[in-house]
Amino acid sequence: MAMGGPRYFEDVEVGTTLPVLKKGPLTSAHLVRWSAAMENWHKIHYDKPFAMEHDKLPGLLVNGSLKQQYIVQLLKDWVGPTGWVWKVSFQFRAMNLVGETLSVWGRVSAKRDGPDYGLVDIELGITNDERKESTPGKATLAVPYRGGKQVPYPFVAPQS
Amino acid sequence: MALLTEALKSYIGLQTEAETACDPVERGAVRRHAQAIQDEDPIFREPCPNNARFGGPVAPPLYPTHMFRRAFGAPDPLQERAHDPDYDGLDSGVSGGLPELEPIKHLALLNAGSEIEFFRYARHGETVKMRSRYADIVEKDSSKGPMILVTIETEYRNGDDELLMKTRRTLIRR
Repeated sequence: MAMGGPRYFEDVEVGTTLPVLKKGPLTSAHLVRWSAAMENWHKIHYDKPFAMEHDKLPGLLVNGSLKQQYIVQLLKDWVGPTGWVWKVSFQFRAMNLVGETLSVWGRVSAKRDGPDYGLVDIELGITNDERKESTPGKATLAVPYRGGKQVPYPFVAPQS
Repeated sequence: MALLTEALKSYIGLQTEAETACDPVERGAVRRHAQAIQDEDPIFREPCPNNARFGGPVAPPLYPTHMFRRAFGAPDPLQERAHDPDYDGLDSGVSGGLPELEPIKHLALLNAGSEIEFFRYARHGETVKMRSRYADIVEKDSSKGPMILVTIETEYRNGDDELLMKTRRTLIRR
């Protein structure tokens, strides 16, 4: 749900942390449900003997494609319906396994004025129960000015 | 021996024709997707104030990237390789419709990350098409020896040719 986010650029403060989005504990059922939704049957996400004996993994792997959904959800919900998630990037640096609870986090790292709306830069990532970072990244969100124009939809990127 | 041969470099810039997803954005598929990612935002479900400016119910932002599924009548690798103990269950499609990189097809593939730009949601009922290109292929040294970094750029558009999103994915082959 969209809640708690900045309605206006003026309300955004550098250093603000976004409400952490918790996912888990993730079970093999969560991953089967995701595999079915996207029709991708890579066995390392639901066939434990294959994952461990054939691919020598320590357990069932949480899909990177699922983790990126969580990141976009965090940003979408925070920026709210009047803003727009323009850019997001992340690196898959470490595995997450079934049994873990993931914490998707973000922090405002910078804000920049534009002619029609403001831009908010976010540092982000996903940590597990042991606070190990697996998916560091960054994002840029478009946020309207108080009393200003709507953020354009379809989104029109600022001229660089 | 260098992995980045002239034959491999020749793939840089190779681009696919636009491919249309076998099904349009379906409400049931959107529901399954939203439930699987545990994001049951009302904008994905029905007309509501928060999706009015998008023109009604929409699919989750990354949904278009998962629409390129096996069409009716297409070969079924799950059945064809059902007795192969080494079959990992992966369908083709990790390369956004691009042909396999023949010189390094024996190397393992890891998803290193992505850069994504969003411009517009895909609405319920819309068709979606994609077009991909090998934007770059470079060799790097790592602690585990040489590896190839493959960058694939993909654009997703709706049936009216309006840009939905752009992705730039990096795959590691080693």
